[in-house]
Amino acid sequence: MRDASPAPSRNPALPGQVGRAKGALRHAARLVLAVAGFAAAVALAATSVVSSKHNLSISGPGAVKSPSETEICIFCHAPHNASPSAGLWNRRNSGSTYVPYTSSTAKGVAGQPTGASLLCLSCHDGTIALGEVLSRGTAIPVAGGPAMPAGPGRLGTDLSDDHPVSFAYTAALAASRGELASPAALTGRVRLDATGQLQCTSCHDAHDNTNGKFLVVPNIASALCVTCHQKGSWAASSHRNSGASWKGAGTNPWPHTAETTVAANACENCHRPHTAGGRKWLLNYASEETNCYACHDGNVAAKNVQGEFTGKTSIHPVGSTTDVHAPNEPAVAGTRHVECVDCHNPHASNGSAGTLPGSLAGVRGVNRTGTEVNPVTKEYEICFRCHGDSPGKPAPRTRRQLPDNNIRLQVDGTGPSFHPITAVGRNTNVPSLLAPWTTSSTMGCGDCHNNNSGPGAGGTGPKGPHGSTYAPLLERQYLTADRTTESPAAYALCYKCHNRNAFVTEGGAFRFHKKHVVDERTPCNVCHAPHGVGSALGTTTNNSKLINFDTTVVTPNSSGLLKFESTGTSRGRCYLRCHGDNHNPESY
Amino acid sequence: MNTQHLLERFVRTLAPLLLVLAWSTAGAGTITGSAHDFSTKAWSGGRICVACHTPHKADTTTTDAPLWNHKNSTATYTMYSSATLNATGLAVGGRSKLCLSCHDGTVAVDNFGGVATPSTFITAANNLGNNLGDDHPVGFAYNTALATADGSLEDPATKTVTIGTGTTTKTGTIASVMLFAGKMECSTCHDVHNTFTVGAAGTGMVKISNAGSALCIACHKK
Repeated sequence: MRDASPAPSRNPALPGQVGRAKGALRHAARLVLAVAGFAAAVALAATSVVSSKHNLSISGPGAVKSPSETEICIFCHAPHNASPSAGLWNRRNSGSTYVPYTSSTAKGVAGQPTGASLLCLSCHDGTIALGEVLSRGTAIPVAGGPAMPAGPGRLGTDLSDDHPVSFAYTAALAASRGELASPAALTGRVRLDATGQLQCTSCHDAHDNTNGKFLVVPNIASALCVTCHQKGSWAASSHRNSGASWKGAGTNPWPHTAETTVAANACENCHRPHTAGGRKWLLNYASEETNCYACHDGNVAAKNVQGEFTGKTSIHPVGSTTDVHAPNEPAVAGTRHVECVDCHNPHASNGSAGTLPGSLAGVRGVNRTGTEVNPVTKEYEICFRCHGDSPGKPAPRTRRQLPDNNIRLQVDGTGPSFHPITAVGRNTNVPSLLAPWTTSSTMGCGDCHNNNSGPGAGGTGPKGPHGSTYAPLLERQYLTADRTTESPAAYALCYKCHNRNAFVTEGGAFRFHKKHVVDERTPCNVCHAPHGVGSALGTTTNNSKLINFDTTVVTPNSSGLLKFESTGTSRGRCYLRCHGDNHNPESY
Repeated sequence: MNTQHLLERFVRTLAPLLLVLAWSTAGAGTITGSAHDFSTKAWSGGRICVACHTPHKADTTTTDAPLWNHKNSTATYTMYSSATLNATGLAVGGRSKLCLSCHDGTVAVDNFGGVATPSTFITAANNLGNNLGDDHPVGFAYNTALATADGSLEDPATKTVTIGTGTTTKTGTIASVMLFAGKMECSTCHDVHNTFTVGAAGTGMVKISNAGSALCIACHKK
């Protein structure tokens, strides 16, 4: 067994003093060599575990480390008597029962942690002293310990706010979940373990902190996340591409990353893989809209959308519910609710213009025939999710002769009259229309329902039906109370497209508009149903021109009749009683 | 022999020994005073080498075993395995078998030529048993190809290391100073004779100080 090299010669019989001096010199030399060797090792290992926080020995760079232990590997590994043997592990299993991640859309069922993840948790669940290793009779002292101190690295035993681990990432899983890379493609730094399971080690390399957070690849622009998560429309999304940065006011939108633009934060604009406030879907915040407000409060995104919701009286109430939206809910909302993501797909949203603005890209909806569409191609298809066939809708705001609160049926293009949302309107005689509107035009829900401070209203606020001071979420004022004094402001919404002159002067398609609107102070809404009249309810004779009377103002006449009859272009007659006047009938 | 002569002879004989003792307190240099110095044990008859070696009538059937004197183990061993292990051919062969003739705990330390009733078995952490699954693998070829396949191993053909301390050092590639026939064996890390070792008695007779886990990272590029 003796090594083949000759034994080193020793200086024989040195008289005491010289020997002691030489011995001391040798000792000093040994020390210098050892220190120099170690320093060299550290210098060479700039990207190694040695220079990382996982070096818990006295030479470690972190605050949490041993004041005395010089061995680095010992905190996790031992060359002999290891357990579990694979990986020569030197720590005991915590034996904790963990709460795994779950969500209504998760296909990979994360059970109790196994394999490498269990090893990580022998420190990171915070239940075992960092210095408690199998190879030592007494725990190695660790400053900042004994167990891992509170902080982002201490996951605890509740892993429901952490990315799932220890599940089989199979081809079948990728196919059923969708938008996931095939496991066969994971041959680079992001890998599954030998049993095909995703583990902590798929994203983290405990020995290499080159990329920070011990990530196997840098997560700038979420390069790590998108290795597996391949969102269909992500390439075009503003959340992937925007160079917008925090303007410094308000709350830091990216408290858990070092990146400074939307594009660089990418997934982590909204999600975080650990300690996610929202738990499900690993959202940063449990309150869904808070994830959006982090940037869409004017501090990162150009426009302050949050202000529309928090400062207005008529809003889509995204803040009033939490945890009622699920990505896999039916397109026709069964339980009506609204969150930002009911109308927007943050994985697809972008700044492009067009009939369907990029902000509404990649969203599911319901078309005018009531069939689910994905993605929508028309804005109204989003609105129909809740304002069409959904149960539980509130009663209509106006009690009408033909009551109906299914707006899809009112504007689906099959009724006797409708605002031209899903199809060009029926009436070809609308002289009040202001350019560029014509009877061949179509419009969007957002032409009437919109923020009252947005560009549609001449303001500088954001677009979209987020919030308004005019109910029901109208871009401009639209008064509906009987005996409203006519003014440009009173019916500003109607006058946006319909020339006010047609209503305050004699003439036009209905020459008595002035008499009704100005003289009798009857709001537009008393005679007209603004959306339309559905084909199952109205007729072309009685309900053209959006006629569907407000029965709190208009009542049957002395003959018991309450109806309008069209008798030709710019001609018709009414049977009704209104403001005490008996129309039996009145013709024009 | 006069007194002067006796004194000179005494000095010539003992001075190196004293020096050796001085060395051994610092931890390295020779087997004397090391954990493998059995001279204080009753069964050794005051001898150091006898547990393993004999000058005459040695066991010539055991390979890699110069003048072998210790009874060999007949245990079969479970070798280390892991899903990410690239090394192949793990086995207790050659030199490591000699170590395990004491360290697997099946053969008494004092079971060597001339002892009537061997009874002293190795204990505690030094007893590896015949399950070596929880011990660092041995018996495998550690070469450039393995380093490349693994990705986080130093290339033994080019990585230079220094074993031992003080003047008892040797510097060379991993392959030249730590491997045996190109293989990792117990003696890759440990020096049974305490020649190229560091640290005081009882610290594992390792060839490179494990301060900063230098021994581990000599090969493991972590």
